[in-house]
Amino acid sequence: MKNRGATILAILVAALLILPLVVHDTFVLRVLTEGVMWIGLAIAFDVIAGYTGYLNFGHGAFFGIGAYTIGILMMQANLPFWAALPAGGVAAAIVALIAGIPTLRLKGAYFAIATWALSRAIQQLALNVEFTGGPDGMRLEAFLNPQFFYYLMLITVGVTFAILWYLLERAPFGLKLKAIREDEEGAKALGLNPTKLKMQSFILSALPTGILGGIYAYWITFIDPSSTLGDLVSDQAVVMVVFGGMGTLFGPALGAILIFAFKTLFWAYLSDFQLLYLIILGALIAISVIFIPNGLWGTMFKRKADATRPQHQPEPASEPAALSAVAAPEEGN
Amino acid sequence: MMELLPQALTDGILLGGIYITIAIAFSLTYGVMHVIDFAVGEWIMFGAFTGYYLNKWTGLDPFLFLPVIFVLYFGVGYVIQPVIHRVLSGTKGNPFLMGLVFTFGLAIMFRGLALTAFGFYSNSIPSAFSEGSFNLEPLGLTVTIPTVRLVGLGYALAITLILHYLLKKTNFGLGVRALAQHKDAAGLMGVNSKRTGSYVYGIYVGISAMTGVLLGCILSIGAQMGNEYTIFAFFVVVLAGMGYLAGVPWAALLLGLVQSIFMIYFNPSHTLLAVFAILYIILLISPRGLFGKGV
Repeated sequence: MKNRGATILAILVAALLILPLVVHDTFVLRVLTEGVMWIGLAIAFDVIAGYTGYLNFGHGAFFGIGAYTIGILMMQANLPFWAALPAGGVAAAIVALIAGIPTLRLKGAYFAIATWALSRAIQQLALNVEFTGGPDGMRLEAFLNPQFFYYLMLITVGVTFAILWYLLERAPFGLKLKAIREDEEGAKALGLNPTKLKMQSFILSALPTGILGGIYAYWITFIDPSSTLGDLVSDQAVVMVVFGGMGTLFGPALGAILIFAFKTLFWAYLSDFQLLYLIILGALIAISVIFIPNGLWGTMFKRKADATRPQHQPEPASEPAALSAVAAPEEGN
Repeated sequence: MMELLPQALTDGILLGGIYITIAIAFSLTYGVMHVIDFAVGEWIMFGAFTGYYLNKWTGLDPFLFLPVIFVLYFGVGYVIQPVIHRVLSGTKGNPFLMGLVFTFGLAIMFRGLALTAFGFYSNSIPSAFSEGSFNLEPLGLTVTIPTVRLVGLGYALAITLILHYLLKKTNFGLGVRALAQHKDAAGLMGVNSKRTGSYVYGIYVGISAMTGVLLGCILSIGAQMGNEYTIFAFFVVVLAGMGYLAGVPWAALLLGLVQSIFMIYFNPSHTLLAVFAILYIILLISPRGLFGKGV
């Protein structure tokens, strides 16, 4: 199972790397670039929401902060893109730190609405101050190279995925976050420091989001409060993760691919009904919660994963135990 | 500028009075159902539009429709609550988070529906009270009180008193308070948590919708107005201390004052920033609200 998964992943990555060499259609490349970006946004969102259990309904704020930071640094401080890019991530991380100090000490629900209100407040700020260009937005110096942006996005998301996968699925960090999600008091009793861990996961969620926002700004060359700081970025992140499956990395990635594909088709063929997309998005969240609370990925693979987990533990002990671990998935089918 | 202060304070107190009704109903649902309803602003928005169209079709004063709107939205809330109950009592995933996500989804869907049906323009609901105003010049104060805001305050007082009576003096209220304290124990004492939850949610949706009509008469209505009121409801409830109803009026009045002061002295669109800054500072100093009595 595992080797098969790794093979599929390798093929997928290889295909994504080669694709621009085969496909020269700018539109297709553009769609792929944005699709890859959404995978990154969804998995970054899931660090705090799915693993730690603190829903951040204002994820779009970090994206917008990254975009605006780069826009301002490049256009007003005349910094080169590569110097401005890390600043986008750092700015998002700093806002996460400031917002997290009061809200993360509280119960989950406070955090959810506080982050959501924060994103509204930041949107108002961008609309009302001068250096962001207000409602007119901001134009960045254009660098029109679709291949460059595709690879930049792919590498950024790939690196983010690899780091998060190591931290959350291989290192003890991920288990600690899950412990907080399941029982925060219990985690404290075990000697964990939930305040510190929650803050780390919040920053870990904000940092790549800010960087992706920065790349997006340079790629799209025009940013304004409604496109980068609007509700839609946050709302889409929520639906991708909830629909795909919270608390995993592959679930949000799957959700991001499906929702983004749906969005692309919807806006391509039904562009007159863009408001309908909002209704579908909301309905999809509500329906996912009722019918597939574990998300698509969780519903497809969770049972198998649960069935094999106990058998893996005695694995090093003796050969028969290892054999039963191999045999177990067969029963599941 | 100082001569504007009495006017700002009066407007703030009158507006804050109306926010009390939103926040008290919102806080009550949180206490009983243990879920924060993200769609609170959307219920307000739906109520405002219902009032607007009923007024347009019949030509009657929107204040006459308040009971109709309450009954209508009580029904809507009553029907929706079992779904939320099902989400919250689920065993898969994390029910509490799922409850939040569910109402978040409802809010997005409602906003989409409203934008589709009503578009982006904003409007206000005309009422017989919209025109008149009281002048307090004879009392030596340079303050004008629009009649509609005074009626709004009367409405807020009435709703608060009725809710207070319902909660403290009736068997139903006893059940609600028991449920808010301990769900399982209340169930063992014969409180039907499902049905009581439905009533509470119905009452809350009904009150929110009615308040929407009032706010539409005083300020304006628009498909995207919900967002702002969700933040306001949350602000009041968190400031008061989650689940601490007695703190709600003070927090609501503070919100009304912040809003009216910003409208008169500063840029009205900075209200949201100010609201968030105040919330941030208070949470930093006293995480359990202004009075330190929240959960």
